[in-house]
Amino acid sequence: MKQQSMIDVKNVTAAYGALTALNGVSLNVQKGEIFGLLGPNGAGKTTLLASVEGLHKPKQGDVHVGGISVQADPVATKRQLGIQLQKTALLDDLTVAELVEVYAALYEVYLTSKEIDSLLARFDLVEKRNTLARRLSGGQQQRLALAVAIANDPQIVLLDEPTSALDPHARRAVWDIVRQLHDEGRTIVLTTHAMEEAEALCGRIAIIDRGQIVACDTPSALIANLKLNSMLKATVELPLDQVRALPEVSAARYTGQYLEVESARPEVTLTALHELAARSGRSVRDVALRQPNLEDVFLKLTGRALVESN
Amino acid sequence: MKRFLILTKAMTLMHLRNGYVLFWNFAFPVLLMVIYGAIMSQFMDYMTPGVIVLNALSFGLVSSSTMMLEMREKGVLRRLQATPLPAVQLIGSYLLVNIVIGVLQSALIIVAGVLLYKVNVTAMGLLIAYPMILFGLLAFMALGGIISGVSAKSGSATAIGMTIYFLLMFISDMIFPLDMLPNWLQNVVPYLPAYPVAQLVRSAMLEATLDPKWMTHILLLLAYGIGATFIAAKLFRWEPKT
Repeated sequence: MKQQSMIDVKNVTAAYGALTALNGVSLNVQKGEIFGLLGPNGAGKTTLLASVEGLHKPKQGDVHVGGISVQADPVATKRQLGIQLQKTALLDDLTVAELVEVYAALYEVYLTSKEIDSLLARFDLVEKRNTLARRLSGGQQQRLALAVAIANDPQIVLLDEPTSALDPHARRAVWDIVRQLHDEGRTIVLTTHAMEEAEALCGRIAIIDRGQIVACDTPSALIANLKLNSMLKATVELPLDQVRALPEVSAARYTGQYLEVESARPEVTLTALHELAARSGRSVRDVALRQPNLEDVFLKLTGRALVESN
Repeated sequence: MKRFLILTKAMTLMHLRNGYVLFWNFAFPVLLMVIYGAIMSQFMDYMTPGVIVLNALSFGLVSSSTMMLEMREKGVLRRLQATPLPAVQLIGSYLLVNIVIGVLQSALIIVAGVLLYKVNVTAMGLLIAYPMILFGLLAFMALGGIISGVSAKSGSATAIGMTIYFLLMFISDMIFPLDMLPNWLQNVVPYLPAYPVAQLVRSAMLEATLDPKWMTHILLLLAYGIGATFIAAKLFRWEPKT
């Protein structure tokens, strides 16, 4: 089946004064996928979204939304998009229902009271329909921002860090909403600096760092292509040079009291580690095995940790 | 048109639900009348047109742009920019609400004058005065638009607006008669924006006639209004200065 390109970014360079925010970025988002932009703060994720939204004019390059050039016809491209910006800023002296009505109307979509309630029900906000937006909790405001983002029934939804500053429960509620939107056939692009969020939601991920896309693929392919090793974690005191000499070990270090060992075949390494510990009269305790994840991919590709660089 | 109406309704509700806006736009003008009345109750016939113009001046230069500046600072304007809404509809809707507020303020001042101080107002006087008040409001609001455009934050916009307000208040023949000013200033003041409004509204309300120089005054206000609107449109920003 032929795939349909919904967002096409070609060789985009963007700057704020002397600061280059994006440097020759190209990517393509297909219809119906959840596409993630993963990178630390300041990597260029928001600028890339702003270029697609028509909020930032790139110095160079082209952006097309649904086949229409953002630069040539920003109004037509805006009509296709549902948007949630990083900082939730709505007309917060309005009630929840009024807000949904107004934002839909801005796209010349006029919702009936029943349609507004039906939309709010999906975001668990019906009981808050007559509450002023500014009186909502952080999680409720984020859900409202998502409701407002799809009030115009867009086929493409752009979410800029939709779960930042939310507690785990509220974050999971937003994830469920994102999955629902995807199930309805919408194309979703979201930015995040949370590795677990990208892994949980995204079909494909572009890893962005210092204004450049350093890798773009499915999460499993990103991990597999780099042939990253598993991580064995255990409590045991052994000389590191002896641990590094064990079979299949590519790296070893102590993090606090824990020994961390990277291994291509952790079962072989663990057996050897037990033997080494026994010879030294010690025992290996609290053993945990962690498969490589996107955090490791980011570290491998950029030489920096995703979390540390925030 | 439907979009414009829904947006205007939203703008109206936002103004009515904002305590700061309510106080400065509706309570303060009445308070101003009470303060002036407490000091010089026997001159309130003469003072009321001046209070109307002073209020329109502070409203146009400062208060009318407060909510727009707040929306810009909070990122609301940027969120609106991400929609297909044309800027002209957003500004038009906002201006419409603020013009209505400005007109209501002058009505409140007149009602307070009549009820509290038995200010003498005729129907003909009001009929002539209201278009003049409207001319003044539009010119002052356009000047307020320039102040918003050049200000990084709402605090600096208020400071600039209030400085201009106090300057114009003292020299525009509303508090002190023009002939108390130095000669050079007497020659300059008639070309400043508050003076023509003061003359037009005063002669309308006190004598129910047009000021002898009404044509000059109105042309001057139109020049201020159109020129300032043009500059304010050029300076309009969806985002705060970084």
